[in-house]
Amino acid sequence: MAGRILVVDDEAHILHVLSLKLRNAGYEVLTAVDGEDGYELASQHVPDLVITDFQMPYMTGLELCRALASNAPTAEIPVLILTARGYALDDDDLKLGNIHGVLSKPFSPRAVLQLVKETLAKAA
Amino acid sequence: MLPWVETLATPARLLLTVATLAIVTTALLLPVGAALDRTVDRLRDYLESTGSRDGKPQTFYGPKWFRPITSAFTNAVDQFRDRERTLSNDLREVEIRCRVSEVQQRQTEAVLHSLRDGVLVTNAFGDIVVANEAAGLILGFDPIEAIHRPLEDLVRDSKFCQLIRDVSETANFAERRHIEHEIGVDTSRVFDVTLACIEDHKHEVAGVVTILHDLTRVREISQMKSDFVSKASHELRTPLASIRAYVEMLVDGEADSENSRQEFYRIMQDETDRLGRLIDNMLNISRIEAGIVQTEREAVDFKSLITRAVESLEPSAREKNISLLNKPAEVDLTVEGDSDMLYQVVLNLVSNAIKYTPDGGRITIAADSDNLTRCVLFSVSDTGLGIPPDAMDRLFEKFYRVENYKRVAKGTGLGLSLCKHIVETLHHGQIGVESELGMGSKFWALIPMRYAGSQAAA
Repeated sequence: MAGRILVVDDEAHILHVLSLKLRNAGYEVLTAVDGEDGYELASQHVPDLVITDFQMPYMTGLELCRALASNAPTAEIPVLILTARGYALDDDDLKLGNIHGVLSKPFSPRAVLQLVKETLAKAA
Repeated sequence: MLPWVETLATPARLLLTVATLAIVTTALLLPVGAALDRTVDRLRDYLESTGSRDGKPQTFYGPKWFRPITSAFTNAVDQFRDRERTLSNDLREVEIRCRVSEVQQRQTEAVLHSLRDGVLVTNAFGDIVVANEAAGLILGFDPIEAIHRPLEDLVRDSKFCQLIRDVSETANFAERRHIEHEIGVDTSRVFDVTLACIEDHKHEVAGVVTILHDLTRVREISQMKSDFVSKASHELRTPLASIRAYVEMLVDGEADSENSRQEFYRIMQDETDRLGRLIDNMLNISRIEAGIVQTEREAVDFKSLITRAVESLEPSAREKNISLLNKPAEVDLTVEGDSDMLYQVVLNLVSNAIKYTPDGGRITIAADSDNLTRCVLFSVSDTGLGIPPDAMDRLFEKFYRVENYKRVAKGTGLGLSLCKHIVETLHHGQIGVESELGMGSKFWALIPMRYAGSQAAA
């Protein structure tokens, strides 16, 4: 098993594309449509990596990162953030969660897969 | 000597001599005295008539030897008269100039007071010489009572006072100084402050002219613009991100079956359409806001607009099992306006109702004429989700979407904003909404039957 990945995004198409790309590459993929949903799934299933959108209703991607980091079982899970607003994230924001990379939208599924592989290799 | 005189004693003789002399002198002087009297009378008459205000120069009929005196007097009077004429002309001119300058001063003051920019003039000692109403409002003092009072007594803002002092001390008459400065205690506003040092006739510092230009509104507009650009680019990126991702998936052969390829194509098509709609809406809104949109003024029958919109949306309503009731009143529903734009309003409102009404719901489209306001009242009522009370005020804002409903349906967040612009900006009508959470919403629009701008010509 290559690993379990949780993808969180409120855009159905992004979830669709990413989960297909990752499944085709052999990963097990869980999906959630908002931060709260994502946090619950992460707590239950403890994935090896989380990919989350930054701008979401209820809980932003950053808030999700902080929630994961402050909860012992999920604190060590590396997170990749997808954002259409790269400028809205500064270094201080990134330090607060276990964030391993930021990808800006529009993104390439190929590049996401590449970053997933690298991040998991580093974490292993 | 007479013989009888010699008989007289010496004192008597002396007395007689004196008496004789007196008699002779009197006899001789009497006519002279009379002549002198006449001369004095004539001279008085002459002087009185020549010297009187409107007296004309008289001829003096007196003895020749008196002429030099009278002619000198006449000359003097003439000169005085000339001087008086010149002076009274000068005086009249000064009076006219005075009146003109009073009028000019009032005009200048009126101009000064009508300015939205604050204008403040202080002298070299820092006393207020001129302050217009705007300056009084901005700095918080009565501009009339402030005259001749030290600025520092009236304005607490020490940085501002120091600024004026600095400019006064530098005595640089050639350059104006620009600075951005925040003024205000409760609601601080940003001002562009222009300071100019003015000189008097001796080339010394006469004072400082300070002009306060409020930048708050400009800042707000520029903030709104940058918000628009940032929101617009975010909204444009979302469909673009999907399209790009699916294209790459197809290129990489990630879609393993014909079915999933077909699905990818369909999604890409939908997202491309969405991108197109988004761009169209954005362009329309900014054109309307900029006032450069070309609109038609033609007779538009609302009934046929509604029928067309209902026909085109019938399939999507049927998909959700929603019944569309088209109930226009049996009256004339013709308005003067732009048919394409008004069609857009009807289409947007009905399509929104379909989006936010659950399966099996009902949508009623009504239209009637309101004779009182001479408007057509068009409304779309649904049995949908309703709108949360806190979202009601922001519903017609650009890019605003009810947070919880983003997943219910896709939208650009521009449809209602565009409707509002079409109804209110282009047709001088009114648009509004009534809603109860969980029960449904009713969007309505009032469109004047006659375009307000064409009334004069009618």
